[in-house]
Amino acid sequence: MTQQTPALSAQAEALSPHLEAAIKSGELSVPMLPEVAGRVVSLSQDPDSDASQLAQLIQGDQSLAGHVMRIANSAAYSPNGSMVSLQQAITRLGMNLISDIALAASISTKMFDAPGFERHIELTWQHALTTALWSKEIARVCRRNVEATFLCGLLHSIGRPVVLQLVIELSRDKQLPISHEDALALEERYQKSVGAAVAAKWDMPKIVCEAITFFDDYDNASIARDQTTMVNGGAQFARHSLSPEILDLDTLTGLQVLADLNLYQDEVERLLDMKDSIASTREAMSA
Amino acid sequence: MIDASSEFDLVVIGSGPSGQKAAVQAAKAKKTVALIERDRVLGGACVHRGTIPSKTLRENALRVKHMRQNAELSNFVLAEDTEMATLIDRLDEVLLAHDNYMQKQIERNGIVRIHGRASFVDNEHISIEKVRGEAEVIKAKNIIIATGSFPRTPDNIPVDHEHVFDSDSILSMLYLPSSLTVLGGGVIASEYASIFQALGVKVTMIDRYPRPLGFLDSDLTDKFVHNFESSGGTWMGETTVSKVHWDGLANVITECEDGRVVKSEKLLCAAGRLANVSDLKIDNAGLKLNERGLIPVNDELCTEVSNIYASGDVIGPPSLASASMEQGRRASCNALGISVGQMNQMIPSGIYGIPELSSVGLSEEQARDKYDDIIVGKALFEEIARGQISGLQDGMLKLVCDGEGKKVLGVMVVGEGATELVHIGQMALLANADVDIFVESIFNFPTLAEAYRVAALAVIGQRSAASNAF
Repeated sequence: MTQQTPALSAQAEALSPHLEAAIKSGELSVPMLPEVAGRVVSLSQDPDSDASQLAQLIQGDQSLAGHVMRIANSAAYSPNGSMVSLQQAITRLGMNLISDIALAASISTKMFDAPGFERHIELTWQHALTTALWSKEIARVCRRNVEATFLCGLLHSIGRPVVLQLVIELSRDKQLPISHEDALALEERYQKSVGAAVAAKWDMPKIVCEAITFFDDYDNASIARDQTTMVNGGAQFARHSLSPEILDLDTLTGLQVLADLNLYQDEVERLLDMKDSIASTREAMSA
Repeated sequence: MIDASSEFDLVVIGSGPSGQKAAVQAAKAKKTVALIERDRVLGGACVHRGTIPSKTLRENALRVKHMRQNAELSNFVLAEDTEMATLIDRLDEVLLAHDNYMQKQIERNGIVRIHGRASFVDNEHISIEKVRGEAEVIKAKNIIIATGSFPRTPDNIPVDHEHVFDSDSILSMLYLPSSLTVLGGGVIASEYASIFQALGVKVTMIDRYPRPLGFLDSDLTDKFVHNFESSGGTWMGETTVSKVHWDGLANVITECEDGRVVKSEKLLCAAGRLANVSDLKIDNAGLKLNERGLIPVNDELCTEVSNIYASGDVIGPPSLASASMEQGRRASCNALGISVGQMNQMIPSGIYGIPELSSVGLSEEQARDKYDDIIVGKALFEEIARGQISGLQDGMLKLVCDGEGKKVLGVMVVGEGATELVHIGQMALLANADVDIFVESIFNFPTLAEAYRVAALAVIGQRSAASNAF
């Protein structure tokens, strides 16, 4: 179940201790979680919060408010495009969905400074968002917590762009130029530990940190074993739906994680029936 | 591939309390046994979604309640953001220990465990669909269906496991909601309603019947409702729900036929459970469900097909783990031609609410229907030394006796320890003892068992008064 990390070149191996030192010392240039995103997360987890508080919060950030309205009026959510206010959008779509949209919108690829890897980061982010949506549906089928799974899925690979950013910085500072492939290999090697550090720095719930750390070793997760398994499963569905040429249907249905989720063939088929609706939701949310 | 020529003396479908006991019983009789379970882990809903998780939550709810009662000593306040994981903190340990124990028992007894979804090919062949899709067929001389039950969802209740839960998904909540509506007045509804209320959640219970737990006498359920309401809960009896929907904002809206509307953060629909047979293709084996959606069986737990037996929730009431285990064992013996005595019908029922309720034998209402005359004796816990020491309120023990005030017909208990305490009465009932046994025997002091003596004295006092009247 544990993923093999690709072999590194000599230069990348030389850079590796510097990366480890930076991670160990906590000197990561973790992008600040946009204030509004942090507040959206705490508001959505506060049982005493209400819709008006969320509307007020989103309205305080002009670009976010515009983004949420654009998504709310997209074909996926409002075929007639008839929503005229944020309050109406929240009423129509629900507080949790608006929270998800706002969170996905405020954590964006633009937060990361990794020249040359923009497309890669964009794809990583698309995969994370799709993973979040699939994980939520898997949670529903498995009768596990639906609410928290979106966040775990969305942030399961948050360490990747941060590692790339760090690799570029260190490569420049230490004058150890490395190839694109080496950078990606280092990303693979360190993304989990860095992801957990980012989630901790952003004050994310413990289950998010665990979903990142134990993503491909979910049997050893403690408090969030179910959540982590669902996120891993969601990530495979996401890979299949985004890149069927890389992960075809037969391979997907033969994956151990689907057996570990105890998803029978008909349940997998019912989930796959949601492919189009998940695709349109993802397009809307990343519009 | 499955070993042992894929042919077994007995195949048990379902590994809950009933299936497990059935399989072990047959293995002990040196028969070849296969146990089919659709989940990765053994134990069924009882272990993983029902009895054991809810009782673990209940234990912590009781601790919280006691800490609140002792607030003067500890100044205790439950943190507002308490996560459910904290409240069922030992659940993983409990489940792991149970799973290990069951696995060892299955292995030790040479039972072949099969992970997959069973369906009948005919009355002697079962097809097993593995989780990865491939299927195998095994042959069985005898088959026991012990697939349990799943929550019933009425058409007007949109269970989404996110805002509106059923009894299998309610414990997937990660945090305590501020408010919860519970639809139903049965055992599961009453248990969860009182547990969440004890944890400080504002709970509203809605049911079409005038009182919850209608199979118990009203003086017991009055105690339950009084305790629930004095903790801040709301009981709405004789109320029919017309519609439930999520308002898209922050509340589940429950609309009642009388025009009342209840808003809550989450909702639990506990509208009974149905036999879990949808994947079994029972018609291939010549079986049919009865009008209540259950598998009909005779006194031997045999279905209308002679080599197929059924036990546990799948055959209907009492739907108690305790009864299911014994049914499983008996179904196994009957299927294999092993002599077994008559099953004692005196099964105690236990409701693990806060407070606990338990009964065995006839209720007062049933006894009045059956006999012309009865004598009832009661003891209130607050009048018992142990009850006073422990500060127990809303506790009561009731003895129902025949018209002569001698033969014990039933025992009912509400209050702390009720599910344990009832067994004393059960033994007296099984021994056909006179009520005097509770007065002539000496119990530890101070204990709640003293309530038996007090209630018995109340019965004896009434019979003496009756005999003096002539």
